[in-house]
Amino acid sequence: MSKSARFIRNVKVSERHGAGEWTAERLSALVLVPLALWGLWSAWSLSGAGYDGALDWFRSPVNSSLLAVTLLISVWHMNMGLKVIVDDYIHKPSSRTALLGLIGALCLLLAAAGVFFIVRLALGSAPLPAGLGA
Amino acid sequence: MSSSPLPGDASNDPTTDQTGRFVRQPNGRVRPLSPHLQIWRFHTTMWGSILNRFAAGALSVGSLFIGGWLAAAAFGPDAYAGYAAVMGSPLGLLIWFGITCAAAYHLTAGVRHLVWDAGAGLTPKAADALTVVSFIAALVISVGFWIVLFASGKVVL
Repeated sequence: MSKSARFIRNVKVSERHGAGEWTAERLSALVLVPLALWGLWSAWSLSGAGYDGALDWFRSPVNSSLLAVTLLISVWHMNMGLKVIVDDYIHKPSSRTALLGLIGALCLLLAAAGVFFIVRLALGSAPLPAGLGA
Repeated sequence: MSSSPLPGDASNDPTTDQTGRFVRQPNGRVRPLSPHLQIWRFHTTMWGSILNRFAAGALSVGSLFIGGWLAAAAFGPDAYAGYAAVMGSPLGLLIWFGITCAAAYHLTAGVRHLVWDAGAGLTPKAADALTVVSFIAALVISVGFWIVLFASGKVVL
């Protein structure tokens, strides 16, 4: 690295994207603290409530939007965390790239499928797969 | 990777070192290699850190069960009843309990890390105390939650 280091208030500025990732991890963690407590409360409301209880729960816009937000931020946070674990333990560049790609794809799938299900449940759509064409 | 005591003539100069205690980093800098696992004496914050990463991994697997629940709800009453039957079995309840424990500890340990990131509680004593508090709080949250679930009759074995 021939580029000279930059400093802000005597603290070295990261050479690449490390500081941004650090901030994103903390920011998502901070937002997830109240959402996790809300999730615990929701688990309490939903347990033993059965299918009809779950449908009622999803019909509330507050519940379904908070769940979608929780899912998206959790998956984002999870993807960053799994990336750190892979970076720590997998040293062969080709394996690391492949594994990170696989994890990223799975996270995207989980987020997309999750939001799709939540939106359908919130709108009161007919059960899948029957309602797909309608 | 050697765990034996260093030979008497081991050098602290990376350019003459023959013991493999230095690594060349991707950016070309030479840095001392951190001591490996068997060198460390296990201590509170170390357990806290290992368990937190373990909880994170467990939660990643657990997210698939939450996704499965969403899918079951979207696929209608029959799918939901089937999923509830499987996940309401003793093994299923154990999985939910594991997810609760992992989530509770990842939450309390995460708050502990946010406290540290704010620059507080960084002396060894305070860091150990915070870690013990995060263990106990997670235990109270997860075990308490399940005691209440069973006591209220919402969940039965």
